[in-house]
Amino acid sequence: MDDRVIIRFDHVTKQYDDDLPVLDDVSFEIERGKFYTLLGPSGCGKTTILRLVAGFIEPTKGDIYFHGKRINNVPANKRQVNTVFQDYALFPHLNVFENVAFGLRIKKMPKADIERKVKEALRFVNLEGYEQRAIHEMSGGQRQRVAIARAIVNEPDVLLLDEPLSALDLKLRTEMQYELRELQRRLGITFIFVTHDQEEALAMSDEIFVLNKGKIQQRGTPKDIYDEPVNRFVADFIGESNIITGTMIDDFVVEFANQQFTCVDHGFAKNEQVDIVIRPEDLELTTVERGKLRVRVDSVLFRGVHYELCCYDTHGNEWLVHSTKKADIGEEIGLHFEPEAIHVMKQSGGE
Amino acid sequence: MKVSRLYLAFVFFVLYMPIFYLIYYSFNSGGTMHHFESFTLDWYKEVFADTRLLVIVLHTMIIALLSSSLATIIGVFGAIAIYYAKHRWKQTLLTLNNILIVSPDVIIGASFLILFTIAGIQLGFTSVLLSHIAFSIPIVVLMVLPKLQEMSPTLIDAARDLGANEWNVLTKVVLPYITPGIFAGFFMALTYSLDDFAVTFFVTGNGFSTLSVEIYSRARQGISLSVNALSTLLFLFTLFLVVVYYVMTQRTSVKGGQK
Repeated sequence: MDDRVIIRFDHVTKQYDDDLPVLDDVSFEIERGKFYTLLGPSGCGKTTILRLVAGFIEPTKGDIYFHGKRINNVPANKRQVNTVFQDYALFPHLNVFENVAFGLRIKKMPKADIERKVKEALRFVNLEGYEQRAIHEMSGGQRQRVAIARAIVNEPDVLLLDEPLSALDLKLRTEMQYELRELQRRLGITFIFVTHDQEEALAMSDEIFVLNKGKIQQRGTPKDIYDEPVNRFVADFIGESNIITGTMIDDFVVEFANQQFTCVDHGFAKNEQVDIVIRPEDLELTTVERGKLRVRVDSVLFRGVHYELCCYDTHGNEWLVHSTKKADIGEEIGLHFEPEAIHVMKQSGGE
Repeated sequence: MKVSRLYLAFVFFVLYMPIFYLIYYSFNSGGTMHHFESFTLDWYKEVFADTRLLVIVLHTMIIALLSSSLATIIGVFGAIAIYYAKHRWKQTLLTLNNILIVSPDVIIGASFLILFTIAGIQLGFTSVLLSHIAFSIPIVVLMVLPKLQEMSPTLIDAARDLGANEWNVLTKVVLPYITPGIFAGFFMALTYSLDDFAVTFFVTGNGFSTLSVEIYSRARQGISLSVNALSTLLFLFTLFLVVVYYVMTQRTSVKGGQK
């Protein structure tokens, strides 16, 4: 077995009573020292995976391995993983120091070691000098850091983060994204990060698992997932995109909007029905004559870094365009795109 | 605005007037509650000279402290058990608990009397203590349960995640978190036990008496103003307990903090 694999899920299913399974026959491996993100809409099963790893729940079917050992029935307090909770779950009756020291005190570590380790952990998250503060005196961002310090002070092999940034405002969230990524590099331990925010996932991860309805839809690097979504769900969930149905005429030739285009995809059956994705930023505004598609501008939104244009072609397909150029509502324009901008996906999902 | 304030003053006047009336005449040298002659502390002297009364005060205190302490311990674990009970059971248990609080003291007293007679327990200190513990437990449960429900369940997950076993979770997280509720329950039980008349009246016997029963029997004879003096002292003691309770809750809420 590969030495770098730290966690392995083997056909794991989690089901409550007779409801539909929350997690449906999922298998994957987690490697040492990487930043993983579980991404998906609420109820997709991402938090269930996290709770299975942490040991708060047990799988209904299948096995979970940690360092090659089956840990299905190992309780949470005996596992080498620590969690940063969505609501931080800091103990309100303890001050910052005691919160961070909680795990070490349970392990009955000598006082001097506890002192040293807690100080070190607080320095790691830039909270030196806050030891004696009460939790209710700390701001949201600071509580977040205390929660991280409390988890990493135990030197876990894997750190689990359950939507830890969702309660912070936008500016703080961006700041914490950098800090978390930096923290993971310095500690060199595996992070499993759960979020429903695709931008967060793309910015931070080494590898992303996109989940929906209890199944992993796609796993890969942020670039893979963004550039080569495997199905309509992933394309739609990761960033904004134009998704329309089309027909694969031949290798490298695809037809949609009643026109044929050259593309870079091949290996489909002849005349197979497919889904086509073109990212809004890959569409370029041009004149009607020079454009590959002819569309009418329906609405224009100013988004700061670009304009967001919503256009319709003559067949009623909607085209979302991100452009630094402005167009007027009702104006006829042309859209140009490169063959590489067309992503062809098999219909009916699946990898 | 002004009318509502006047109304409030009136309500509190009506509520407190009998007590202050009683306190006022406890300083009367005349010996009746009709005509105030002159100021005296004689009735207080009489109270402190009455050894039988002092023994009863001591009994009352022992019963109150013992019963509320034991009821607090039993009630806290009862509340935790209800908190962890399956949803279906939770509501039933809670209802059963509340019925005990609202049911009339007379019924509870009478049923205890029957129970103790059948069980062959001699009426006196033991029977009073047992019945006080029994009617205090639901009060403690009622005071502790909201604190438990207010506690975020992820706190327990977090403790387990950090290596805590069940015992650690209980002693290091759950109990410290619900401490204000425990104190509230203890003080409520204490005041309930101190001023309980009906239940005690039923189950006491054999020369054992508590203050409220004693005051009742003396007030019925209606001769001595020492009853007034005794009631005043009791009122001041209750006031003292309320102040202690207030200070404690203030302290814990500052320490524990709100989000």
